[in-house]
Amino acid sequence: MRYLFVSLILLCAVVQAAQTVIPIEKYSLKNGLRVILSRDNAVPVVSVYIMYDVGARAEEKGRTGFAHLFEHMMFEGSAHAPKGTHFKLIQANGGTMNGQTHPDYTDYFETLPANKLAVGLWLESDRMRSLNITAENLANQKEAVKQERRLRFDSQPYSTAIVDRWPELAYQNWQNSHSLIGSFEDLNAASVEDVAKFFKTYYAPDNAVLVLVGDIQIPEAKKLIETYFGDIPSQPKPRTPDLAEPSPKPRSDIYHDALAKVPGVVIGYPGPARNSPDYFAITMIDVLFTAGPSSRFQLDLVKGKQSVIQYQADLGWPFTNSVDYKDPADYAMFLLYKPNFTGDQIVQQVQDEIAKIQNDGVDAKELERARTLLRSERITALQSSFQRAKLLATYEVLDGKPEYINQELDKLLAVTPAQIQAAAKHYLTPERRSVLQIAVGPKPQPSSSGAAKGDN
Amino acid sequence: MAQTIDRTKPPETPPIPAYKMPPIHETKLPNGLTVVLVEDPRFPLVTVRLSFQAGSKFDPKELPGLSGMVAGLLTQGTKTRSFRDIGEELASIGGSLDGHSSPDVLTVGGNVLAENLPKLLELLADVALNASFPENEVQLRKQNRKQALLAQHSQPAFLASEKFDELVFGDHPYRYIAPTMESIDRMDQKSMFEFHDSHLVPNNAVLVMLGKLPARNATLNLVREKFGSWKEGPAPAPPAKDFAASKKQIVLLDRPGSVQADIHIGRLAVTRTDPDYFPLFVGNAILGGGASSRLFNDVREEKGFAYDVHSELDRRKDAGVALAVTQVRNDVVGPAMDAVLGHLERIGNAPVTAAELTDAKNYMSGVFLISLETQSGLADQVDLMKSMGLPDDYLEKFTAHVRSVEPDQIQAAAKKYFAPDQATIVVVGDASKIGKPLEKFGTVQVEKAK
Repeated sequence: MRYLFVSLILLCAVVQAAQTVIPIEKYSLKNGLRVILSRDNAVPVVSVYIMYDVGARAEEKGRTGFAHLFEHMMFEGSAHAPKGTHFKLIQANGGTMNGQTHPDYTDYFETLPANKLAVGLWLESDRMRSLNITAENLANQKEAVKQERRLRFDSQPYSTAIVDRWPELAYQNWQNSHSLIGSFEDLNAASVEDVAKFFKTYYAPDNAVLVLVGDIQIPEAKKLIETYFGDIPSQPKPRTPDLAEPSPKPRSDIYHDALAKVPGVVIGYPGPARNSPDYFAITMIDVLFTAGPSSRFQLDLVKGKQSVIQYQADLGWPFTNSVDYKDPADYAMFLLYKPNFTGDQIVQQVQDEIAKIQNDGVDAKELERARTLLRSERITALQSSFQRAKLLATYEVLDGKPEYINQELDKLLAVTPAQIQAAAKHYLTPERRSVLQIAVGPKPQPSSSGAAKGDN
Repeated sequence: MAQTIDRTKPPETPPIPAYKMPPIHETKLPNGLTVVLVEDPRFPLVTVRLSFQAGSKFDPKELPGLSGMVAGLLTQGTKTRSFRDIGEELASIGGSLDGHSSPDVLTVGGNVLAENLPKLLELLADVALNASFPENEVQLRKQNRKQALLAQHSQPAFLASEKFDELVFGDHPYRYIAPTMESIDRMDQKSMFEFHDSHLVPNNAVLVMLGKLPARNATLNLVREKFGSWKEGPAPAPPAKDFAASKKQIVLLDRPGSVQADIHIGRLAVTRTDPDYFPLFVGNAILGGGASSRLFNDVREEKGFAYDVHSELDRRKDAGVALAVTQVRNDVVGPAMDAVLGHLERIGNAPVTAAELTDAKNYMSGVFLISLETQSGLADQVDLMKSMGLPDDYLEKFTAHVRSVEPDQIQAAAKKYFAPDQATIVVVGDASKIGKPLEKFGTVQVEKAK
């Protein structure tokens, strides 16, 4: 019966041609593991994707970077898959894999030739059931994480400003403002007991979602999932961190970046509640500002004023986008600009762009273009089984509604000019704004600090 | 009914499934434009790529980076459309078009909602045939490219690649991975028109269209309508394939304050059409091509020296390079170099094990299969085959070629191309911290990083 239902939906998709509908089957195991299956047999490939409902914002004081360190430990072996087995087995079966730590969730995933599905399920279930937690592995992974920090942050221009300094400035609640990659001091302090406790608390089946997308046979997949995951014991529901932020107030700072050669600025505004009408409106404002070569930032700032060189913006930038955004977080942007402008001028130019929306709204033609572009981008993003699996898991963990994968676009396309104008007026004001200027070169000596700003 | 599965052992699974590539239909217009169509109706989208034999190796000697600038400026204005017109028309059809240039090929391409394909083709033809290189756009692009180059020079990985390619490719134009400040200054509208008019001719191009296409005849009529009147012209010859013999050399680019060293070790190797290619390709996977490779297991997992350590093949049309890359903290530069050099040596001195070989073949076959999931992944493969001058059955036979590689072939190819006795070594880092430990590997030439 389920099959018939699914194939009817697919038939509709073909007839409509413009809409792409992803089939979804959702159920739970007795231990609380939520499972989402989505069949697509175009290419004999399957993505196995697990999202755990814990991220870096759940860390405790003195343990910054712990969620990420733990993610590394998940690749260090389990009872029947000793250290090294995970990487080796996935690749020997023709697959790719990785894991990522995010502010509000942590994900682990494999894409494999479809008939290798059991390999992915075996590996994921073995580590969910019986992770190897040893002092040796922990010491080794502390070094790997430190090396990752040196490579991806400490040696790169802008990175330290963005991942360490920006959250401190933009957020007042420590859960949101602390470094997600962590300090060396806190990483060193992490103990084997910390790792074991974190594992037991958060890496339980009832705190996770398992998604399979690709060339699967649903009954066979269900049987395999039950075999591998069915008897992993559930745990008490973990406490969710209190992320609430006090009322926003304007903040600003300058970060002197010894590695940077081009000046930059980060600007952010506390964003709306996820799934509120304003959330969809701010997402559309972001499309108007930044999507494609006819976006406002491109036409007005890069071309018109010739001040900005590059820009990026997102709900929850730099860690999330509008899809996996979870409030409280900022609608934030990062702009690199030419040295003949000052950071203050760039901030003003951005605020002027916002003012145009606040005062004049958006005309029907421009909004229609933005909608079409968004529709195309969202369909393009559905192509790989991995991306679909990630979207399904995200909507399940953040909203409890994987079916949003087929509904979000319509909600965005329904946003009206009046809603856009109202959201800009309420959210994107200087009174709520945080600004981090990134100045080129090391911090000047005290005697010349007065000139520092003029050097931007 | 309940089958018992032994959860203490990895599951037994069948071999990686065979997959038949969607058929590739190829034709040529009278003006010489090669048209390649691939039906892929999975999503209501079409991906389009127009590729010219006009990559950066065709840059005039004094203008490195010109091809890239021309590619970027194609979409910035035509005889009848401003940048804004092009951008707004693209948005209104849910489309994108971008130009970029690789060492061999200049490509302008994008994707679009399937129902709007005719309009995207109209825009593609307009930017390819009628680009006008407006003076204000040329000036802006020059200014912004210089700032972007400054930003690139603040990244150690970029500095290392830039110096490495310069040393390995010698006098061949492949030596440039980016323009120079001076070459950007010298570029003008005239040089762009000259490059455009001589290189962007239909007989020097391949148009790939892939996705939910209209019926074959309707699609071809559409192509003829938009591109049929395009005039052919003499296609410029590529530069001579003169590459200096590889020789041992060590260059340290001094970047004071660096907390780690960026290390590149490699030399000229082979192109995709060389008999040594597939053995080297599979050998590379075993040596450093992923998280179960020798380099990863030893240098990262066992020794904990690096987060990233890998080997790779840079495969261009007229030359190839085999290299190992890692970034390590300052205090382990010496031992990390020893470890990497040891692996480069060893893979040429003894045959790989049967298990290593089977695993690597499976890995490369599976990754190839996975790459075909998306339109852009499939288009990359088709584009590669056509623009690199590979045989028409290259993709069809790719997996079979990988499967046929023998251990002695890998050892022989690795001995020739991974053995570090003639390797160029480039290290980017703080000379005051890592200069000394490097000396034991040979004469070190120290230069200031840009």
